[in-house]
Amino acid sequence: MDIAFVSQIVVSGLILAVIYALVAVGFTLFVGVFNVLNFSHGDVLMFGAFAGFTAFLPLAGLGVTSPFLQLVLVTIASVTCTIALGLIVARFFILPLKGAPLLNTLLITLMLATVIREGVRLFYPRGSNPKSFPALLPTDFVSIGAINVRVDTIMLIFAGLAIIVATGALIERTRFGLAIRAVAQDEETARCMGVNYRLVVLGAFALGSGLAACAAMINGLYYNEVNYSMGLMLAIIGFCSAIIGGLGNIAGAILGAFIFAGLQIVGSLFMPFSSAYSDVFAFAVILVLIALKPTGLIGERVSERV
Amino acid sequence: MTNEAPLFESRGLSKRFGGLQALADVSFSVRRGEILGLIGPNGSGKTTLFNVVTGIYRPDGGAALLDGREIGGLRAQAIYRAGVTRTFQRCRLSTELSIFDELMIGAHKDLDLGFMANILHRKAFRAAFEEKREQARSLLAIFSAELAQRMFEPIARFPMIDRRRIEICRALISRPRLLLLDEPSAGMTHDETRQLMDDILETRRGNPELAVVIIEHEMPVIERVSDRCVVFNYGRKIAEGSYREVASDPQVQEAYLGTRHGAAA
Amino acid sequence: MSVTTRNGMRDRMFAAFALVATTLLCFAFGRALLTVNDERIVVALLVTLAAGIVLAERRVTRAPDSALVRGAVSTAPAAVLLAIVALILVFHANHFALLLICTLLIYVTVALGLHLQFGYAGVLNFAGAAFFGIGCYTAAVLTQLAWLPHPVVMVLGGVFAALIGLALLPPVLRTRGHYASVVTIAFGVLFTTFLEINETFGGAQGMHVAGLSLFGFDMTRNIRLSPGVTLSFYFGYAVVALLLAVGAFALVTRIERSWIGLTLDAVRLDETRSACFGIDLARWKIFAFCLGNFIIGVAGALFGMLMSFIAPPNFSFSASLMLVAIIILGGIGNRWGVLLGATLIVLVPERLQTIQEYRVLLFAALIVGLLLIRPNGLAPRRMRRYFGEGSA
Repeated sequence: MDIAFVSQIVVSGLILAVIYALVAVGFTLFVGVFNVLNFSHGDVLMFGAFAGFTAFLPLAGLGVTSPFLQLVLVTIASVTCTIALGLIVARFFILPLKGAPLLNTLLITLMLATVIREGVRLFYPRGSNPKSFPALLPTDFVSIGAINVRVDTIMLIFAGLAIIVATGALIERTRFGLAIRAVAQDEETARCMGVNYRLVVLGAFALGSGLAACAAMINGLYYNEVNYSMGLMLAIIGFCSAIIGGLGNIAGAILGAFIFAGLQIVGSLFMPFSSAYSDVFAFAVILVLIALKPTGLIGERVSERV
Repeated sequence: MTNEAPLFESRGLSKRFGGLQALADVSFSVRRGEILGLIGPNGSGKTTLFNVVTGIYRPDGGAALLDGREIGGLRAQAIYRAGVTRTFQRCRLSTELSIFDELMIGAHKDLDLGFMANILHRKAFRAAFEEKREQARSLLAIFSAELAQRMFEPIARFPMIDRRRIEICRALISRPRLLLLDEPSAGMTHDETRQLMDDILETRRGNPELAVVIIEHEMPVIERVSDRCVVFNYGRKIAEGSYREVASDPQVQEAYLGTRHGAAA
Repeated sequence: MSVTTRNGMRDRMFAAFALVATTLLCFAFGRALLTVNDERIVVALLVTLAAGIVLAERRVTRAPDSALVRGAVSTAPAAVLLAIVALILVFHANHFALLLICTLLIYVTVALGLHLQFGYAGVLNFAGAAFFGIGCYTAAVLTQLAWLPHPVVMVLGGVFAALIGLALLPPVLRTRGHYASVVTIAFGVLFTTFLEINETFGGAQGMHVAGLSLFGFDMTRNIRLSPGVTLSFYFGYAVVALLLAVGAFALVTRIERSWIGLTLDAVRLDETRSACFGIDLARWKIFAFCLGNFIIGVAGALFGMLMSFIAPPNFSFSASLMLVAIIILGGIGNRWGVLLGATLIVLVPERLQTIQEYRVLLFAALIVGLLLIRPNGLAPRRMRRYFGEGSA
């Protein structure tokens, strides 16, 4: 195997890992503050990708031709729409189910995901066809020794990593992060100490959805394609990552995402003929991992009061 | 007091949760037919002991012996089959089930769960069902005639005191050898508690070997029903003996009873 | 003595009256739903159905002990069965109506399998369509072997579905709470992907399935009974589908009315409590998951033969969600709700072509609304009775 090939694999693996990590962190946040398996997360992400794509369409006509300005506007549109949708989901469909059976919350988020997905497929113009997402970053190559990598790829990886690090800092260092951690640890005590529970849940959903928008942007800019069914697979991968890392644990979610991406890359090395088989391989390994270590690699908090 | 081997023995049971030593080297024994009061302040490890003995938690050290046989670390299912049942501090009843259904969960080890017996041989199943129905009815009747009469109604329709009774009946219906009662009087008035205790004592007439360990905060209840007491504090046993003995123990007074009950003893 | 006899007489008369009335109502409703072409009338029928259910439920909750209500409740199974038999007989030559009845009955069977998993044991299965597909593909492959009798093919469809489900169970059993559902969701999504890319099972083009032949009856062509009477080739399928659905219903009913049903409820409602009373959680979850998938697989094999051609989109994740929607609309844990849910999800879009394209969206939105407004479904489960209505 030559070094160029290896480097290409490493780079595409890193992109995947960053996207998955952004999704998985959202899942783990939702589990932390509300103990909800929010399956609509993936389709909220897809909605964000379509919002960004839609925002791009009229830009050239409006005279905005600078790729940088376009990128900024598209990102703002995507993040805003995603956060708005995430907040709607949290406020009207998840918060009212406080105390309802877990099955009901799970079913609601699954069906909401379907509503969003089908809504885009049916009502977006030609919604069932893939849309080509614009390449807004410089696409020329840089050479590091024998390795040729596209500039946009490197920028996306670093942007993604920076967002993840910033999120970690937000959770660990700020008052908002402290409130999230307090609620995740013990909701009742946190309330008694004056934490506004609803606000924290909504904040966590806004944060998680914003991260999903970032994942959507990175995904769109790297693959130059968005389609209505992308959210489902990302949701499953993100959630699996969160589980194998240890639910409710940010570092675990990131670790899980990197493991998943790594497995897909290994799978594609052995089965280069089809990416779908490498997905099957990655899921099979993940299922074995879950069976072996159901509470995750970095243990989750488990305490049931009997 | 006789020299026979104890029914249940805890030999140095220990349990840690992270940095918290919930049970530290706890040793005591329960004789056949005895009622042992287990007292101590909140968080002193009483419920943890129940959870370890019934197999919900695995002990980190020590042994739990039932009739000389090690049950520590067995699965909860095996410990139930060995003859240990319990009630829960916060009632664990499925309120959408009927009283009868909930009792049958308690009688699970006596139920024939074969596919044929349940699905195909309905005549034989009917006989088994009727036998169980009478068993449940007569057990409930000891506690309340009304419960026995309304045994096919959902538990959701019954008040707290009835739910406690149902929980106790569920624990008794399999004719256990050791019954663990976790604060049966929580949320009840004194009269209700007294009534409940009388009913529990009543069931022992038909089952004199039954030993009971009871966690209780109401000292008068403990004084009246228990043959002996064990006192916990910070996961350790700090005293053991008759109610009078432990109540006058200065260590116990300091840890738990305080001045209020200390003077009375 | 004479008073009780007279009461018994009265009860029997009421029961007979209720039986006839319910049968006629169900038959008339089914016949109208299957034949009416004007979509406005279909909508009117659905509104009538909804109103009827609301009224009937009110009556039952207000006066559960009245002779008429008891008569109606105790004869309802017979009435529904009679009505379906009558519909099959009336439409014996009508391909389209019979195909709809077959499809409905097959989906009822599938939903009963899911009902066993969700409603009793609380094991969540979001890959129902995948297990259904395993049954279909088993039929597609095995009907190529001419020597293999078709009833055996159907049973094997169920066996394969159960076995593949078994492979998914270790992570499901070990993961806490409902997070295990991600395992079946992943399987449900990957199953279609796998079908599309593989070469052996026809890939995205799908596969042909040979028609059912039972005891020498070839069910791929019409049967001429006499010069005037010709049975549609779907007639035989309708009979088999009805037998299957009735069998599944009887099995599920007996499970509910037995210690097994009680045990499954206990597992679903409180695992810690159940463990403390000797219930082997894994054993009963495996039982419900495998038996449920077996039922789904058998129904799938029949569906494959009925359709004679199957392709991956039939078994997508959306299809799995629609199967779940059937049992939720009916009310999780209510056997009768399954019939109602299947009618809404399977039959209504066929009769209301306007909504066909939007049905997944519509039903998903309907479920969301229902869970917010009426969390227990349209017809929540009633208390367990071990021996039919009237007895203890």
